Amino acid sequence: MSFMENLLMALSSLKAHKMRSILTMLGIIIGVGAVIIVVAIGQGGEAMLKTQITGPGNTVELYYQPSDEEIRANPNIFLQAPFRQEDIRALEQIQEIKSIVASSTQMSSIRFQQETADVSSTGINQAYIKLNEMKVEKGRSFSTSDFLGGRRVGLVSHVIQEELFKGDNPVGKVITVANQPIEIIGVLEKPTGLLSFSSMEIYLPFQTWRTIYGSSDYTQVTLQADSSDQLQAAGKKAARILNNMHNTEDSYQVLNMEEIAAGIGQITRIMTLIIGSIAGISLFVGGIGVMNIMLVSVTERTREIGIRMALGATRGQVLTQFLIESMTLTLIGGILGIFLGWGTASIVSIFAGWPSLISWQVVLGGVVFSMVIGIVFGLLPANKASKLDPIESLRYE
Amino acid sequence: MIVLESITKTYVLGKESVNVLNDITLTIEQGEFVAIMGPSGSGKSTLMNMIGCLDKPTAGNYFLSGENVSHYNENELARVRNQSIGFVFQQFHLLPRLSALKNVELPMIYAGVSKSERQARAEEALMKVGLSDRMDHLPNALSGGQKQRVAIARAIVNKPKIILADEPTGALDSKTSIDIMEQFRELNEEEGVTVIIVTHESEVAEYAKRTIFVRDGMIQIPSASIMGVSE
Repeated sequence: MSFMENLLMALSSLKAHKMRSILTMLGIIIGVGAVIIVVAIGQGGEAMLKTQITGPGNTVELYYQPSDEEIRANPNIFLQAPFRQEDIRALEQIQEIKSIVASSTQMSSIRFQQETADVSSTGINQAYIKLNEMKVEKGRSFSTSDFLGGRRVGLVSHVIQEELFKGDNPVGKVITVANQPIEIIGVLEKPTGLLSFSSMEIYLPFQTWRTIYGSSDYTQVTLQADSSDQLQAAGKKAARILNNMHNTEDSYQVLNMEEIAAGIGQITRIMTLIIGSIAGISLFVGGIGVMNIMLVSVTERTREIGIRMALGATRGQVLTQFLIESMTLTLIGGILGIFLGWGTASIVSIFAGWPSLISWQVVLGGVVFSMVIGIVFGLLPANKASKLDPIESLRYE
Repeated sequence: MIVLESITKTYVLGKESVNVLNDITLTIEQGEFVAIMGPSGSGKSTLMNMIGCLDKPTAGNYFLSGENVSHYNENELARVRNQSIGFVFQQFHLLPRLSALKNVELPMIYAGVSKSERQARAEEALMKVGLSDRMDHLPNALSGGQKQRVAIARAIVNKPKIILADEPTGALDSKTSIDIMEQFRELNEEEGVTVIIVTHESEVAEYAKRTIFVRDGMIQIPSASIMGVSE
């Protein structure tokens, strides 16, 4: 007896009890749907976290974490910028480094007419704009002459336009930054993405910044290399050079965002696994529902089984018939569940603003797993059916 | 040809064991029309199940067309039922969700007959029992006599050598009963099929050329007439 024959037979018996079949399937639909939702959102979230944390490719940040001794010696050490001009010049000697992006940030008060605000003021160079992919939505970005000439121009974040200028176009206006006049030449695009949040920021060419604050030290240094291998080597060398120059033990270190992203990916994967397992429990419960209904069905159809056996069905054929019937039930439920999960995950991702990833592996896994559930939970009822005594079954009322 | 040699069937109920069939020896030639009669509890149904390969004897040998089927395993017995025996039951035993045609196709599904051939043969069988205009009806939409004719069509569709009918007219009125019995007579005379009918109605038994009486698990006729069948 062919598989198609069995499948058609299974479909017709499921159709005979529509309501019952649909309700039984519902358990599988919800179970598979829940697993798909969790995995899709989890994978989407992981992918997004990774791209956002890692940022532009092949970069590491250097940071300064003073030891207890250093803090005791100089309690104000956190207020000082940890990287000096000569540090940068020393770092430039490292072969593996493609470029060094150094910048300096200080909290500062700005004023426009009567309005004042506290903002973070960052002095940057040309590479910084490229590395951080800064884009202006109004006005223009810095030109080379702005950097070289140390002109008194600045870019402001979108929030400043809203807070300080009440939404008016600030391009061309002159504000004071730490009591020095600065002309605003552009407004930066509103940051998009999960982890970026809008803050009050103003960017100045580093030369300008140095003039205003009277400091030529840097607070952030980012290294860029051609490959991640070179980056590892460059990071190690940079930290060693800096620790030598500052006569510190291990205070200058490398912050590798890719490692952090991998770690976070690990966490989200574990989270997905845990929540997915909980969702999997509902699939298990759905499977028990299938088993229950199939047992009822076998009892109800005792006479049918007897008739089939009298007409020449072997026990194996009866077993196969019921196995395929329960598998069909869960397979249809599984496919509907995939659609449910896919639809829900898509809606959730629209509202949450992050992509939901439904990979073909997940879909295939859903289909195969629901079939396996049908077989596993159909085994007991099908076995019961095949063990029936034909004579007794024919007499069954 | 059916040959039963000292067939015994014993059921064990707790500490007691009951011999439902007690040393039955019986030969039924190919093409015979036999009625099996006896009071209820006499063992005639068990004898019927034994001949139909639904049950296995506790002791003794059963030769069907020369093969000792008493030692067959369940799959082999299923094949024998499928190929060599057609069953007709008192309660028709049609599958309620399948049309008359699909019911008749059922034994051929287990015989592995292709779909197109199945349909052609099922139509042919239904035509033979005079139901060519009722093929797509569900059993519910058929009268008792029509249901039994569908059952007969189902029994003959695999061209078995033997038809076993268990009280085939038990649920039918007397006029329809005559129809059905004529059907069996036709099959027996025209196709040479061995027909074995279990009944307690003497009118039905009259169609048979030989009647076997069973009582207390034993055959109750002179041994000479068991052996003295010529064909």
